[in-house]
Amino acid sequence: MAEFNTSILDKGNVSVINLKGYLDAHTAPTLENNFTQLIGNNRFNIVVNFNELAYISSAGLGVFMAYIEKIRENSGDIKLSNMSEKVYNIFDLLGFPLLYEIYKTEDEAVNKFTR
Amino acid sequence: MAEVKDYKIKRNLSALIDFSRVINSSIDLEFILNNVLLTCLGKFLATRGLIAVKEKGKLVLKVSKGLNAEDETAFPYLLATPECIEDPKLDSFMHVTNMKIVEKISSSQDCIGLVCLGEKLNKSGYTEDDQEFLRTILNISATAIQNSIIISELREVNRLLDTRVQRLDSLFELSKEFGMLAESSRFVKLLIFSVIGQFLVQKYAVVLFKDEPEILESKFSRSDLQKCLSEYELINTLESIRNEEISEQYKLLKEIGVHLVVPMQLQGNTRGLILLGNRAGDKEYLDSDVEFIYSVGNLAIISLENKRLFEEALEKQKLEEELLIARDIQQNLLPQNIPFHENFEIAALNVSSKQVGGDYYDVIPLDDDNFVVAIADVSGKGVPASLMMANIQAFLQVICKHDLKIDEATALINNLVTANTTEGRFITFFWGVVNTKQKTIKYVNAGHNPPLLLRNNAVNKLDKGGIILGVMETVNPYIFEEVDLYKDDVLILFTDGVSEAMNLSGEEFGEDKLEETANALKVNSAKEILDGIKHEVQRFAQGNIQSDDITMLVLKVS
Repeated sequence: MAEFNTSILDKGNVSVINLKGYLDAHTAPTLENNFTQLIGNNRFNIVVNFNELAYISSAGLGVFMAYIEKIRENSGDIKLSNMSEKVYNIFDLLGFPLLYEIYKTEDEAVNKFTR
Repeated sequence: MAEVKDYKIKRNLSALIDFSRVINSSIDLEFILNNVLLTCLGKFLATRGLIAVKEKGKLVLKVSKGLNAEDETAFPYLLATPECIEDPKLDSFMHVTNMKIVEKISSSQDCIGLVCLGEKLNKSGYTEDDQEFLRTILNISATAIQNSIIISELREVNRLLDTRVQRLDSLFELSKEFGMLAESSRFVKLLIFSVIGQFLVQKYAVVLFKDEPEILESKFSRSDLQKCLSEYELINTLESIRNEEISEQYKLLKEIGVHLVVPMQLQGNTRGLILLGNRAGDKEYLDSDVEFIYSVGNLAIISLENKRLFEEALEKQKLEEELLIARDIQQNLLPQNIPFHENFEIAALNVSSKQVGGDYYDVIPLDDDNFVVAIADVSGKGVPASLMMANIQAFLQVICKHDLKIDEATALINNLVTANTTEGRFITFFWGVVNTKQKTIKYVNAGHNPPLLLRNNAVNKLDKGGIILGVMETVNPYIFEEVDLYKDDVLILFTDGVSEAMNLSGEEFGEDKLEETANALKVNSAKEILDGIKHEVQRFAQGNIQSDDITMLVLKVS
């Protein structure tokens, strides 16, 4: 079974979720739990760092759609960073840049919140 | 004068070569068009202009300078034909937007675009030379434009292919995952995630049709959605419902923001619905999108159905296993070893037609000189009959511990059975107390097939007693009879499974034939008589599956 795990790091009022491994239908619940947990703790400024993500399936992409409304209702946002070209291409193919801000580096994404 | 003209031509030529080099060094359509337009504007000192390029057979405005948004949207619908620049629609557009000159861009085969330019800054008109120069610029540009159009078309095709591949990947992954999931709530989540991730949708719902429509997930208001479900017969939806149709015919759905309804089907029947809101950027759902959603939905519903069937099969298997256990328990309620009694040989058998049945026999020792033989047949079959059989077995075992008279004990058993059965069920029952010393049997027959007592050449039927058990409480007392037994007497207790055993022609074995068979066998041991009758019954039945239990007890006085 493909490995997937996440870690959450708080940087001021921004929470950074680091993704590692394969995000697919099978591992999606892990990320779901991260979002529910952050929302439960009223942490709505979220950066997702894709640096160590090897693969994302459409079910994995769905997780981002499922929570964005709730987060934006609370004047937060999910910003994405450090995507490999392969991962970015999938996001781009499906039109995610329309809805999400995607940054090269985590710091850039974090700074967008603090400004 | 001639020198000036030469110089001008030279300058124009070197500018053209420069221009050619720049635009041919790029495959970026926007960059090329921008360059072409700026060159034209610079050359003619015009303040406004536009370029439209062929896209799917028609001309689409790609770049413009000095035009406001209103002007841009006014650009007419033109097919990319060689005659396009003579179209009156273009004429009036140029008039409105104050364009003075138009020239088409042609590749070797056909028209791939056009350029319009506005008034020159010095208000002078375009001369023949200007027109000629414009054509030259455009001829130089044509190849570069054509190439970059092809490349962007290829990019588009590539992207389309990427999308297809990505969707196939998704379907493949889903079919794998659906097969592995145990909880149905995860099915719905996975279905939803795949669809909303694919199409960037924020509002969605999944409905399953069971007895009532059941909303499994909804980001629309549930009460509003419920209203829609009761208003429209959506279970009859065999095709997807697109936005246009929703706007026209499903006002309530439109009000809550549903843009697409896709049925989830199993063998042509709609078992559920996927409802989706609008896509990000207000993109429409294309045919291929709907097809993908349809595939995902059907995949989910088939997997759910497979899971249900599997669970059902498992449940059935479990039930069958339990019935087998019940059968073992029931067999254990029958005497395992018939105790030896001086002067009496006893043999018995029970063949159950189903896994569990309602026949019962027993041999219960009372004291040194007395034992009970009993046989019973519970009406009906299967589990209910087997429960009653277990019941009467327990009654009998308990009652034998008490020193009761057999007629009074029968009345008591009847009252107990009556209290414990539902209407329409009953038990035929025969029991007798055999005294080994005095060689007698004292019996009561509660509506059971009379046991046969064979002595010499006569057959005596033990039929004294009373009403069958379980119909009503004892009102009239049961009567008993005491019969003396002699050496070589044979007593045969049986259920109607023996006398009514049926052959393939639908004929019954019958009591006469039973008597006849028993008579012929009576010189043998009890076991041999039992086996002989069983053999004869089976021979008669010709392998016909019997619907009733076969139970027999043979007692021989030695």
